Amino acid sequence: MSGFAKPLKIALGLIVIAGLIAIPMNFNRYGLFILSQWAVMTIAAMGLNLTLGYAGQVSLAQGAFVGIGAYASAIMTTHGWPLPAAIVVAIVLAFAVGWVLGYPALRVQHHYLAFVTLAFSTLAFLVFRNESWLTGGIYGISNIPRPHFLGIATTKPLPFYYVCLGSLAIVSLAVWWLIRSPWGRAFMALRENPLRAQSLGIDTRRYTLMAFAIGSALGGVAGALYAPLTQYIDPVPFNLSLSLDLLMMVIVGGAGFYFGPFLGAMIAVLLPEWLRFTEGYYLMLYAIAVMGLLVWSPTGILGILDRYVAERRTKAASALRAVAKSRLETAQ
Amino acid sequence: MSNLFDLLVAGLATGAIYALVAVGFTLLWQTSQTINFAQGEFVMLPAFLMLAAMHVGAPFWLAIILGILLSMILLGLGFKMLLVDPMMRHGVLPLAIATMALAIGIKEAVKQFFSAEASPFPSIVPTGDITVLGHVVSLQSIGVLVVAILAVFGLTTLLNRTSLGHQMQAAAQNPTVARIIGVPVERMILLTFLINAFLVALASLLITPIYLAKFSSGEVLGQAAFIAAIVGGFNQVRGAIAGGLLIGVLDNLAAAYISTQYRAAVPMIFLIAVILFRPQGLLGRAEERTV
Amino acid sequence: MSAVLEVTDIRKSFGGILAVDGVSFDVREGEILGLIGPNGCGKSTLFNCILGQLTPTGGEVKLDGKLVTGLRPAELNKLGVSRTFQLLQVFPKLSVRENLILAGQEHQGNMASRLVGRSDAGLTDAANQMIGFFKLDHLAEEPAGGLSYGQQKLLDAAMAFMGGPRLVLLDEPAGGVNPTMLSDLKERLVAINRERNATFVVIEHNMEFVMSLCSRVMVMAEGKVLAMGRPDEVRKNPAVIEAYLGH
Repeated sequence: MSGFAKPLKIALGLIVIAGLIAIPMNFNRYGLFILSQWAVMTIAAMGLNLTLGYAGQVSLAQGAFVGIGAYASAIMTTHGWPLPAAIVVAIVLAFAVGWVLGYPALRVQHHYLAFVTLAFSTLAFLVFRNESWLTGGIYGISNIPRPHFLGIATTKPLPFYYVCLGSLAIVSLAVWWLIRSPWGRAFMALRENPLRAQSLGIDTRRYTLMAFAIGSALGGVAGALYAPLTQYIDPVPFNLSLSLDLLMMVIVGGAGFYFGPFLGAMIAVLLPEWLRFTEGYYLMLYAIAVMGLLVWSPTGILGILDRYVAERRTKAASALRAVAKSRLETAQ
Repeated sequence: MSNLFDLLVAGLATGAIYALVAVGFTLLWQTSQTINFAQGEFVMLPAFLMLAAMHVGAPFWLAIILGILLSMILLGLGFKMLLVDPMMRHGVLPLAIATMALAIGIKEAVKQFFSAEASPFPSIVPTGDITVLGHVVSLQSIGVLVVAILAVFGLTTLLNRTSLGHQMQAAAQNPTVARIIGVPVERMILLTFLINAFLVALASLLITPIYLAKFSSGEVLGQAAFIAAIVGGFNQVRGAIAGGLLIGVLDNLAAAYISTQYRAAVPMIFLIAVILFRPQGLLGRAEERTV
Repeated sequence: MSAVLEVTDIRKSFGGILAVDGVSFDVREGEILGLIGPNGCGKSTLFNCILGQLTPTGGEVKLDGKLVTGLRPAELNKLGVSRTFQLLQVFPKLSVRENLILAGQEHQGNMASRLVGRSDAGLTDAANQMIGFFKLDHLAEEPAGGLSYGQQKLLDAAMAFMGGPRLVLLDEPAGGVNPTMLSDLKERLVAINRERNATFVVIEHNMEFVMSLCSRVMVMAEGKVLAMGRPDEVRKNPAVIEAYLGH
C-alpha cells in the first residue's frame, strides 16, 4: 500500500478501538448485550473466514463448534471452574473434533467437507438435545456465571462487554499473527492455486486440515464466551441456522479479507437492530439490504474496496502507458 | 396393518410433494449452480398469491392460474434476472447466501402483508376416503399422488424425449460445448427457472390444503427438499424423486411409530448415514477422489 | 558422475491408450538434459509421472538412488525436486518477493517453527539474492500479476530454485518468450546450473534453445525413447528427422 495510507489506517484503527471502548459506556443493558454478541460472533466468523476465506473450504458446522464451546463452558463454569480454563477446554475440544472430522473428509472430493460438516451439524444438535444427563437436554443449562478477573466481578453488562471485547482483541492479534506467518501464506497459496502450491512443497492436505481445525477452535472460543453472555443455553441456537448465519457474515463482509468478519458480524447482528425502528418491516428491509449488497458486490463489502483499488491501479497503469505511447509517437 | 398401508400411501403422497420441490431444486443446481435456500418459501408463497387473488374476488380456478403465472414471473423470471444473473459468475456461495436472505424476505413479507396466522386453503382434490385393496385410504393422498406423478412424468418426458429437453440437459452438462453447437444456453437456464417456479406452485397447491397456509411453513418444506435432494444425489433428477418419496415415507412412519422427541431426528440421521457412507447420494454418480 | 535421477521402464496408460511406453534414462549430476519430441509423444506425461502428478502404471523413479515412484508432488519437492510450469503459475496478488518467499518457505524448519517464527521464514535475503540474480530488482515489490509474460517466466524459474533443489524439471521455459528475454533466460539458467551444480531436465519445442542449452538431448516419439545423445548427434539422426518431419 502507498506511503500515506499507512498512518491513516493506523489512526482510523485507533479511533475505532477508542470508540468501541468509550461509546458503549452510555449504552443500556440491551445495547451492551447486542454489542457483546457482535464481538462474540466476530470471533466465530473469523474462524470460519480462516477455513473458507483463506483455505477455501466450506464448513457448515461452525455453529456446532460454537455449541460445543458453549456447552463446555456452561458445564464447567456451573461446576465452579474459571472461565479461562473453560475457554482452553473449548479450544482443545473444538480443535480435536475439527481434526477428526477433517482428516478423512479432506482426502476425498472437493465439496465433501461441506457435506460432512452438514451431517456433523445435525448430529451435534441431536446430541445437545438428547443427552440431557450432560447438556440438560431441551431444558438446557441456566444460571451460567460470569467470570471474576483479579477480584473484579463482570456480572454487570458493561464489565462483561469488556471481557468480550478483550477476548476479541486477543483473538484478532492471534489471527493476524497467523495470517502474516508462513502458514498464512501457505493457506492463501492452497486457495489460489493448489497445484502450484504442491509443487512448492506445500502439503495442501495438512494445511487445509489445520485451517479447518483452527477455524473450528475459534468457533469453540466464541461459544465459550456466548454461554456467560446469555447466562442460559439450550440446543436451539446451535443448529444449522447459526452455521448458515456465520457463513453469511463471512461472505457479506468479504471472504478472505482480514476485517471481513468484523463487518459481516456487524451486518448480521447490528443491522437488524438499527432497522428495528421500522417495526414489522425491519427483517424484510434487512433481507433486501443483504441481497442488494451481495448483488452489488458478490465478493462482499471489502471486495468492493479491493475492486476499487484494482481499478485505480489499472487506470494509473493505463495512464502511464498512454503517456509513454504519445511520447513514442512524438519522438518519431 | 391397514394402519401401515395408509401411512405408506400418505407418506408417498407427502413424499411426492417433496419430490416435486426437490426436483426443482436439483434442476436449478444442475443448470446454474444455484443452491436455492429459499425453495421452501417458494413453495409457501404461491398459495398466498392465490389466496390474495380470491380475496379480490377471483374464482378458485382463476386464482390458481393467476397464482401459477405470478409464481413463474416472480420466482422464475424475477428471481433469475434480479438475483441469479448478477451473481452467477462469482461462484456458488454468494448466490446461496443471497437466497438465504431472500427466504427471510419472502417469509417476513408474507407475515406482514398477509397474516401471521394460519389460513385455510381449498383443495383441488376431493376430500373423503375410499377403499383400496381392503384398506381405507384418503382421497387426498391418492389425488396428490396422481397430480404429482403426472407432473413428474411430464417433466421427465420433456427432459428425455424432446429436443428441448435434450438441449436443456446439454446446457446443464457442458454449457461451453452446448453454446458451440448452437444451444441457446441462457434461454435453457431461464427455462429451468420457469419450470422450478411451476413445480413449486404446483407443490404449493397440493400441500397447502393439508398443512394450511402459514408464513413459516417454508422452513420445514425447504429442509425436507434439501435433504431429499442430497439423499437422492444432488446430480440427478431421478434421485431427487427417489429422495423425496423416501423422506416422505420415513417422516410419516417416524411420526406414527416414534415419539415426537426423536421424530425430527429420523430424516436427519438418514441424511448423516447417506453423507457418510454414500456421499454421492443413493442414485448419484460417484465423483473422483483427489490426490 | 553419479546419477541424480534414474528412470527405469516407466509406463503410463490412460484406459486403452499407452501414453508412455517403457521409458528409461539417467540424468547425471550437473547436466542439462533436453527432452524433445513431436506433440503427443508423451513428454508431459513422463514429466508428470516423475513429478508425482500422475502415478505411473509401471516402472520406477529413483532420486539419488532412493526410490520415489508415486510420491506426491509436495513430498518430492521436499526431497529436492522442483519444477516450472508450461502455463504460468505465479501468485498474481503476491509481490515478486513474496512469491519467492512462498516458494522457499516449506524448506525452512518444520511446521511448528514456521508458525511461531518469523513472518518471512528468514528468507528475505535469499529472496533478494534470487531477485538480483534474475535481474528483477526493480519489480521486487510489484504484484506478480502485473509483470510482463517474460518477467513472469523468469519469476517462475526463480521460484523453482528457492528451495535449493537437486533436480529441476522445466516445462517449456521458452514458450511465448520474446527473443531478447529468451537469451537472458538461457544465460541465467546456464549461470545457475554452474553456480549451484543443479541438474535440469528441460522439455522444449524451441530447437535452438534446447540445442544451445543442453549437454544431452533425449528424443521421444509415441511414448518411447527414439534417440539419446549430444545435440549435434541427435540433430543428424535420421530417425529423429523422420519423427519430426514424417508426421
